[in-house]
Amino acid sequence: MAGQMRPSLDDPRVAIPADSSWYEPAPTPKTERQAEFLTLREGEMFVNMGPQHPSTHGVLRVIIKVNGEKVVDLDPVLGYLHRGVEKLCENADYHQAICYTDPLEYVSSLFCEAAPVAAFEKLMDVDVPRRAQYIRVLTMELNRIASHTLFQGWMALDLGGITPILWSFIERDEIVDMLAALTGQKLLYNYYRIGGVNGDLNHEFMSRLGTWMSRAAAQIDSNLALINENEIFVRRTRGLGVLDAKTALKMGVTGPNLRASGVPFDLRRDRPYLVYPELEFDVPTRDEGDSLARYLVRMDEIKQSIRIIDQVLHEMPDGPVMAKLPRLLRPRPGRAFGAVEGPRGVYGTYAISDGSDQPFRMRIHDPSFVHLQLVGPLTKGNLIADTMAVMASLDPVMGGVDK
Amino acid sequence: MDRRLALLLAETFGERLLTPVRQRYDETEIRIALADATDVLRVVHDDPALRFSMLIDLCGVDTGEEMHVVYHLSSSLSGDWLRIIVAGLDRTAPRIASATFLWPGAEWMERETYDMFGIIFEGNRDLRRIYMPDDYRSFPLRKDFYLADDASRSPAAGVRNMERVGTPADATAATLLRKSPGA
Repeated sequence: MAGQMRPSLDDPRVAIPADSSWYEPAPTPKTERQAEFLTLREGEMFVNMGPQHPSTHGVLRVIIKVNGEKVVDLDPVLGYLHRGVEKLCENADYHQAICYTDPLEYVSSLFCEAAPVAAFEKLMDVDVPRRAQYIRVLTMELNRIASHTLFQGWMALDLGGITPILWSFIERDEIVDMLAALTGQKLLYNYYRIGGVNGDLNHEFMSRLGTWMSRAAAQIDSNLALINENEIFVRRTRGLGVLDAKTALKMGVTGPNLRASGVPFDLRRDRPYLVYPELEFDVPTRDEGDSLARYLVRMDEIKQSIRIIDQVLHEMPDGPVMAKLPRLLRPRPGRAFGAVEGPRGVYGTYAISDGSDQPFRMRIHDPSFVHLQLVGPLTKGNLIADTMAVMASLDPVMGGVDK
Repeated sequence: MDRRLALLLAETFGERLLTPVRQRYDETEIRIALADATDVLRVVHDDPALRFSMLIDLCGVDTGEEMHVVYHLSSSLSGDWLRIIVAGLDRTAPRIASATFLWPGAEWMERETYDMFGIIFEGNRDLRRIYMPDDYRSFPLRKDFYLADDASRSPAAGVRNMERVGTPADATAATLLRKSPGA
């Protein structure tokens, strides 16, 4: 039996009509900016990056409008990791709200909990014991180093270098294990409490920290030597995505990204909290404002963090690590804003109390969210591959961006 | 805490402050009416004695009766932080002028506030949803939006509006109630 001939796609009778529903219809623009973005000029086309692209540090989709190999404009699409943390916190009591903030920026979660804890302590007029303050500074600086070393590996990976991430994970894993010995968790520590920390320093943590500190500076220097002198890395990042100080301030940029543009704004110094005023450290800045400067500022910060840890270990007093507080906390009605300087910028929490045991409103400000806004303006006119370099140098973490 | 800042703000804005300047810890707070919002923001940004040139945070607040928009600013002159609460936005149709003419970086924070509260920022050129899908209808951070486990407090008596919309007419209680695997 002769089989029926399958129609060929070359056959004009089976040609797909141009208005076929095969193609996704262009979205109707909702705003002026979106209409501008969706208008294609001669030679331009859209390229989709993500949501599962390995270079986007989480689940982010970016629609890039390209002309040849050049980026004309881009539009990040957020919300893939949105969990409604603010709403959940409003429906939890003050202790529970802290653990919801942990997974926001999962590579630096101690800062995410430090900000709400700072706000709640202001609401409740709690005095944190000195030893707890030192422990907080110690653990936060460790977490900062872990985050920055991971950034170093990530950034090199985004530019095509595999080796640095393997090296930087050595340092990061050691810190993560150290903090796991202290807090019982590897990533989402849930260690800070209103009025102190959950548990004093233990032997395993201290012995690991001692061993690590004895070689940390040398080890991190050798990691830096792997990249800092690498000609490919330097030539791809120097002069790329230049952000000047004025624009940075207008865009609400904070943290290392702002300091790389020459503004020495650091909450640890400008709006001191915990025991930072008693510690000696520098605020590294650079004037170039390009991707390389953003990278180098972070690497300088690692050295300052080691310096801070060294002082903390020498000056830490004995004493309690928790203030005496009732189990159920009902602060007086009021408002407080707690902010800490994290590895990406200002982590802030604005808490409103109505006198009940749950926060009436809890606003979480995340620096990655603000910095991701800059990817568009900074990549215009560059190559598609440079989008990743700029994005990596801004170091957003999507868990915090999407909340 | 800087007492001079409180005096300076009281002197600059006078009648326009709805409540006296409050200071607690390192925070200074003023409360203004909706009509004065743009003016006050421009003055604190440009006044050579204030220079609150950094926008740290912008957020909305739903009190249940009205909406607020709250700005946290940092001064590049003195390092002081200022909280400006713009009170009195109508809950049914909240509208306020955008702050993007001073801080272009406020664009996404305003989008987020719109997404969560439905507050319309006039002058923001990209005011669309940022987290929730484009066809989403509710504003999750409003006080009349209840979580599933908080549904007993809701006016719909335990059934969420979102769920009610999709309920088939012939559904019985047995098919609607979610059973736990152990039950």
